Amino acid sequence: MSSAEDRIARAGEYVLGLMDEDERRRAEADIATDAAFANEVARFADQFEALQANLEPDEATDELWQAIAARLDEEGGEDTAADAPTQVVPPRPAPRSSRFEGWRNALLAACLVAAFGLGYLGGQYMTPTPNPVVVVVLADDNEIPAAIIEAYGDDSVRFVPLREFDLGEGQVLEAWTQFDEDIGPVSLGTFVEQRERVLSGRGLPAPEPNQFYAISLEDAPGSPVGRPLGPILVQGLAVAPPR
Amino acid sequence: MEGYTRGAGSGCSNPKLFFVSAHLKPTGKSISIEFISALHRPQPLTISQMPSLERLLEQVADGERAALERLFRLEAGRMLAIARRIVRRKDLAEEVIQDVFVTIWRKASQFDAGRGSARAWLSIIVRHRALNVIRDGARMDHHDPESLAELGDREADATSAYEALPDDMSLRQCLGDLDPQRRSCIILAYVVGYSHGEIAARLKAPVGTVKAWIRRGLLALRECMS
Repeated sequence: MSSAEDRIARAGEYVLGLMDEDERRRAEADIATDAAFANEVARFADQFEALQANLEPDEATDELWQAIAARLDEEGGEDTAADAPTQVVPPRPAPRSSRFEGWRNALLAACLVAAFGLGYLGGQYMTPTPNPVVVVVLADDNEIPAAIIEAYGDDSVRFVPLREFDLGEGQVLEAWTQFDEDIGPVSLGTFVEQRERVLSGRGLPAPEPNQFYAISLEDAPGSPVGRPLGPILVQGLAVAPPR
Repeated sequence: MEGYTRGAGSGCSNPKLFFVSAHLKPTGKSISIEFISALHRPQPLTISQMPSLERLLEQVADGERAALERLFRLEAGRMLAIARRIVRRKDLAEEVIQDVFVTIWRKASQFDAGRGSARAWLSIIVRHRALNVIRDGARMDHHDPESLAELGDREADATSAYEALPDDMSLRQCLGDLDPQRRSCIILAYVVGYSHGEIAARLKAPVGTVKAWIRRGLLALRECMS
């Protein structure tokens, strides 16, 4: 089976729901880095939709809605309809995982550098390793790779910008990762210089495959609210390289 | 930044993707209900052009609980039916829909009208959540007579879903062109959520053979419908 055929078949298996957890995670990682694969998935998803177009709806009771509403209340969901969204300040504090709201309006102009690191909490993660635990290709909105992050097992991160971006006066770059949806995005630091560097880590959990990384453009000295306020310039999902 | 505990680590929140994670209520276990959104959005629809479901998802993404309720009134019945075709039990289907709406509330901002329809997006979130439920063995008892009888209806559901497709629809024609066994595999997987193993048992074929049938069937479908 050619690689193109394999891509189509895997996209179909993904939509059919035939993948186990590991396969599905790999497919998700591929969606992040392979637009052709993502397109195949979208195509199958739309086409198979016809198989449920004539389905007789069940009764959706008020009780079911009340149960959903109670879940949302319980989990901290708030009705923030009165707040008008703006690009600068994401208005929706409600769902915790929505903290990346506003990230989608990424600008093309951007720059990439980093002065940050990842670390580990538990002693079992402290053993230095010669190979990066994960590698992240950060791409811009046009899917063009713009930087690479390698996160190591010894509390350090190597950051390699692949191109230079414009950074306005009074602006800084801020790196983020999200290792836990309940915690949301976590700042890894701000910076203005664009060069490769290795940085020491901070007290964060060990980087894992599929962990989300991004760089946003912020007004100096950086986002004051613990989540990105400015546009996301580049982003990517971590991949664990084979050993 | 210090002191965070090691997280569940699903971490799939790339806004360009629909990696939607739902949290199972009883256990807090994070489950990935993946689906894709847009990698490219060449010509995003304006709000006024959007069909209502897309518009509602936008409003939900802006934190409007009322829009989520409208979405529930419009779509929950259909979503329940999709889920029930897979989980077979009304109570489990309702549990699926609860999880799905919590997920929609959290993840609506990741929906991208530039790629795919809102309805397809919702459907796949439902299907994947339902599949998670039936593949979690602790959640279903297949041994009581009532459950077994319900499971017996699954294949009839799959067949009728295929037969309900309009004759002039390309999916119908392309599925019809497939070898019957390959067609059965694909329909059983999609409509009622059969696994490779279940399909193999049903068709009395080795699992590896079933996997190959499905892959080749998918390739043929893709070629036929392009």
